Amino acid sequence: MSQPIRDKARELLQTGKVNCVIGYERATDGITARPLFVYDVRDVDRLIFDRTCVHNLSRYLRDRRDKMTAIVAKPCDARAINMLLNEQQLDRQKLFIIGVVCQGVNERCWGQTDTRQQVRCQWCRQHVPPVYDFLVGEKPADEPPPAGFPDIEEFEKKSPAERRAFWEEQYRACIRCNACRHSCPGCYCQECFAENLDPAWVGIRIAPAESQIWNLVRAFHLSGRCVDCGACEQACPVNIPLMLLNRKLQKDGIKFFGFEPGLSAEAVPPFATFKKDESPGGEG
Amino acid sequence: MLFFSEKSLTAWLNHLMLDRTVLAPVRGTNDLVYFQSIASSEAVSVGSQNAALSPKDWFFPRSEAIMSFVTKDGKTQVIPATMEKDAVIFGVRPCDARAISLIDRPFRAEPVDALYQERRNRTTLVGIACVTVCQECFCTSMGSGPFDAKALDIMLTPVDSGFAVEVVTDKGKRLLEKAIVQDRELTLPKPPEVKTVPSAGVTEAMRRIFNNVYWDRVADRCIHCNICSFVCPCCYCFDVRDYKGKDKIERVRSWESCESALFTRAAGGHNPRPSKGARMRQRFAHKLLYFPDIFGELKCTGCGRCVKNCPVNIDIREIIHDVQKLARE
Amino acid sequence: MIDLTPDVKLFNVELDDPSERDRFDYKPGQFAFLSAYGVGEAPFGIVSLASKKDGIEFAIRKVGTVTAALHDLEPGASVGIRGPHGNSFPMESFKGKNIHIIGGGIGFAPLRPVISYILDHRDDYGDLLILNAARTPADLCFASEFETWAASPRTRVEMTVDKGDTGWQGRVALAPDVVKELRLSPQNAIAITCGPPIMIRFTLVRLKELGFADDQIVTTLEQKMKCGIGKCARCNVGGTYICQDGPVFTLAQISRFIEQF
Repeated sequence: MSQPIRDKARELLQTGKVNCVIGYERATDGITARPLFVYDVRDVDRLIFDRTCVHNLSRYLRDRRDKMTAIVAKPCDARAINMLLNEQQLDRQKLFIIGVVCQGVNERCWGQTDTRQQVRCQWCRQHVPPVYDFLVGEKPADEPPPAGFPDIEEFEKKSPAERRAFWEEQYRACIRCNACRHSCPGCYCQECFAENLDPAWVGIRIAPAESQIWNLVRAFHLSGRCVDCGACEQACPVNIPLMLLNRKLQKDGIKFFGFEPGLSAEAVPPFATFKKDESPGGEG
Repeated sequence: MLFFSEKSLTAWLNHLMLDRTVLAPVRGTNDLVYFQSIASSEAVSVGSQNAALSPKDWFFPRSEAIMSFVTKDGKTQVIPATMEKDAVIFGVRPCDARAISLIDRPFRAEPVDALYQERRNRTTLVGIACVTVCQECFCTSMGSGPFDAKALDIMLTPVDSGFAVEVVTDKGKRLLEKAIVQDRELTLPKPPEVKTVPSAGVTEAMRRIFNNVYWDRVADRCIHCNICSFVCPCCYCFDVRDYKGKDKIERVRSWESCESALFTRAAGGHNPRPSKGARMRQRFAHKLLYFPDIFGELKCTGCGRCVKNCPVNIDIREIIHDVQKLARE
Repeated sequence: MIDLTPDVKLFNVELDDPSERDRFDYKPGQFAFLSAYGVGEAPFGIVSLASKKDGIEFAIRKVGTVTAALHDLEPGASVGIRGPHGNSFPMESFKGKNIHIIGGGIGFAPLRPVISYILDHRDDYGDLLILNAARTPADLCFASEFETWAASPRTRVEMTVDKGDTGWQGRVALAPDVVKELRLSPQNAIAITCGPPIMIRFTLVRLKELGFADDQIVTTLEQKMKCGIGKCARCNVGGTYICQDGPVFTLAQISRFIEQF
């Protein structure tokens, strides 16, 4: 997988088609991966792609929207690109998407070799990116199963009291580092609601009540937009299972509106639309 | 040499809990180890790894009301926060202890942070030496070491069925008054090898390459979250804001990071440090250049938490290598 | 509380405790934190002289939540005050020299105590030039005091605006251009300037052109501050803390900052 990416990157930089290729390289533990910005053809051999490449690199695109940029994108990352295109945050003409066929990625834990596959990958419904300019990897023969959320259904079996206790413990652990927000391609507000002073929706106090508002409202701000890339959960330094919140809202999005974010740049998201006839696509 | 058996150590801790707050490493949420207040010595979990967050949280809490304002009959009273009981932090690694002594330099300088000072005066640090070393550790390049007892009051080194006890300060001696320690012939383990980092002369190297475009390149992948500053045992930037409670107003102080985009933004919108590269540089310049210029020591103890937790692997050891290399060119 | 300009008010703060009033001593250039209870706290330059002893004055422009809350207060309301902090203008070292004061907009306010000090000790100082610049005539701070100042011996008051209005008879020009036009002499002189960043930048260029040395040019820096006592590192620039080593600096000192804003 790595070599075709390197070759393509070399070609794009040499021909001047792009001035930067955003991909992955090996991290300092020799095990995990980290984002790499390649400006010079001499650096292309640092690019890699394997099951450790968990970051969603599309979060870097918005700051470079006026510059020709190539990006290595897994299916979930490409869904984020579609979502950003749909929200007019990116210029498709300035992007060269090196799509990668993906069979799943692992949990990222610096310094640890034996990490298992991310939960969301087990029920992934796209092995081929929905948008790309160049594809790396063999398209799989079988179609992936439709969207499934057994992990959420399992969690929903808990009683409200159990769920409340579970989340209160998680919110106590939250240190409000905002890594979830900054690693997410959907969180691009210049001034986040959490930074608002008047009214102070969250404030600077790092305490369970504030952390609850922070995490829940962020999840809701992403409903209909979250593409299930898992970047937030991977970034969280205290291992909060953020994907439980996000995937719950994804599940509801499909159930009530028949809508899966990021499948195309044109599809109209339910929370960004008003239609006179609002008959939902799903159960309603 | 003084020796604590497992049994007498447990008894001593239980005794301390009677009239003091005792903090120790405890396995907590999502299987991570945190320094928490304990009610029983069974909760203590001293493994081979350091706690996820450092004990700086005790002296400089992630969030606290440093004072309250209560208005009655038109007069406003300022009520400062206070410390309830004396405290002991058990299981502090040398890197974290040294980090606290680094935070001391600004916080205990005039004008003294009274709350911090009270906590420091009334808290005793009981350390545990590191007999194994993690992949991310580099304490020996940062003025400390796996057996470094300098910033502790008592140092415990694991030996067969117990610990060797080193009394470092008078405060430590007083804490051991009710402890049952024996005098024994002990063979201490050899300190483990710690990977090194070329920290010698990094301050001058930083000064030389201050305006190098290198910082913009590193900042490319930085996502400007607060993780590095928050997990760091010696970072101490903070924000202060007032919040109205039910019957009082609290002045809350919380952790903050120079990496966050709005750190230097003033009311009215002017931000003198808007670029990613400048913010990236500020963090490492403060640690490796400004703090040493003002206090004579590097503001890093090699605990490795930033290395382990940075979502995009910005690695201070790599930065130091690169800075030294660039300065030689 | 007096309105100085459409968005600037002059606040007079008196300490509750009479015994504290005498103890609260400060020098020109220092600042203090004012707390609008329940909203927050912010640093403001003190624009009065300690010797006057009839309250501590601040000129505050409404730009954010704290300043808006302060502007909304009624006279007699309670505020918190913390200070004085920072260094001060080295008035002793200015003795015997000609002083050129160049202030822009709200930046003129922290220079007012320097003027008051010089006028109180008039014989200790040479010629005094006061140049007050603003966007429009309504934005000229302390305009009501200009006449008193101009009446002092060896004192000259000049005003300029970026844009005049129907009643304005005076000069319409940018402060740096006026500096050039007046051909300020660096001979035995000190230039003290404060204002919006762009005004300072070009004023410095003009002063250097006229021959002023770096240590003859003094300014007071504004930077976001939180604790004001060198702890929170927010105002950290290189090896200095603006709240403790400043806010008053000479151009020579500022040029040595490793990080240039």
